[in-house]
Amino acid sequence: MSWLLSRWVVLPAAMAAIVLSWNLWVATHAGGVVEGRVVDAAGRAVPGAEVVLYGRSFVTNDERQRTRAGDGGIFRFTGNASHALQLQAEAPGLGRSERVTVRLLFRAQDTRLPTPLRLEGAPLRIGGAPS
Amino acid sequence: MRRRRWSHAARHAALVAICTLMLLPFYWVLKTAVTDENIYVYPPRLLPRDPHPYNFVDVWYLIPFPRYLLNSALVSGLTVAGNVVLNAMAAYALTRPFPGRRWVLLLLLSCMLIPFQATIIPAYLITARMGLLNTYLGLALPMLSTIVCIFIYKSAFEAVPRSLIDAARIDGLSEWRIIARVLLPLSRPAIATNVILAFIWSWNSFMWPLIITRDADMQTLPLGLARFLSYMEDTTGALYAFVVMVLVPGIVVFLMAQSAFIRGLTAGATKG
Repeated sequence: MSWLLSRWVVLPAAMAAIVLSWNLWVATHAGGVVEGRVVDAAGRAVPGAEVVLYGRSFVTNDERQRTRAGDGGIFRFTGNASHALQLQAEAPGLGRSERVTVRLLFRAQDTRLPTPLRLEGAPLRIGGAPS
Repeated sequence: MRRRRWSHAARHAALVAICTLMLLPFYWVLKTAVTDENIYVYPPRLLPRDPHPYNFVDVWYLIPFPRYLLNSALVSGLTVAGNVVLNAMAAYALTRPFPGRRWVLLLLLSCMLIPFQATIIPAYLITARMGLLNTYLGLALPMLSTIVCIFIYKSAFEAVPRSLIDAARIDGLSEWRIIARVLLPLSRPAIATNVILAFIWSWNSFMWPLIITRDADMQTLPLGLARFLSYMEDTTGALYAFVVMVLVPGIVVFLMAQSAFIRGLTAGATKG
């Protein structure tokens, strides 16, 4: 049984265990949920703000989903299938936020934005010309 | 005594300095892979700033990396198996007396002087005639047996006492079983050397896979790296993350078998 302690067994077994554990972790945390909050320049929640999710497509970022923030300025996307995404919010009269880049450890990783989207930019339409 | 200690320390310091110098490019690749900075940035930073793993994630998802990895692993596995088995058979034959043995040895040695690029067209035509274009076996075919590795086996087999082989023959073992049961178990460093060399040559092979693959699904990691480079010219971090991911399996195999590998390469270097 000494062959079980050989480096040719121990190292591949350790690598297989790590890969298996990682895949289990991914399988249980890949719901595609992206959550966050929209606030105005003063830090107050902005219910009804429009939030757009852009997904990375090799070298460009294309619009994938849009939603509206609910009570408390909280928004939630489901079914995100990208590993690198951008989020931007806009509300009439309050302008729009910076486009925030979110990089994930795997596709569809459930995530919550650590800092809210802050509306303080110029009042432009998302993805369009100045209004 | 003190003088000897100083000389010992100076020798070690010199060795550490040389090792650092040789490992610096690898460190720089690794450092660039975990940051978003350009490799040519001036002034260069020795330590990575804000390291993150996302470049590796990009490589995994933006191109079919798992497919390339699988292809490279299958082709390298075939190559290693072919080298371990076929080279052992060839080497055993070369340790036996037969008419024209010297000429065969001379022919093999002279073939080592011919670069692979010079034989690519006949190799391609033979592979096509066998119907192996765009297949894993076709990808592994030119490296299923390599002359250097045959000679490594040959020197290991020649170190086994003749009386042991004669005893095995008297006990009724066939030639095949003499190789499998007597010579190979006594030639572990040669096997390790065959495994490492065949794996690394196959893993890094670029030109042959480029020529005989037709589908993107059959491409190996070096081809994937070239493809990635052509798509992502400006993403230094992701490019070097790809390089690290290509390098790691070869380094792991080498580290696992390094002591046997060095014994295998130096076997037969000294006599007596």
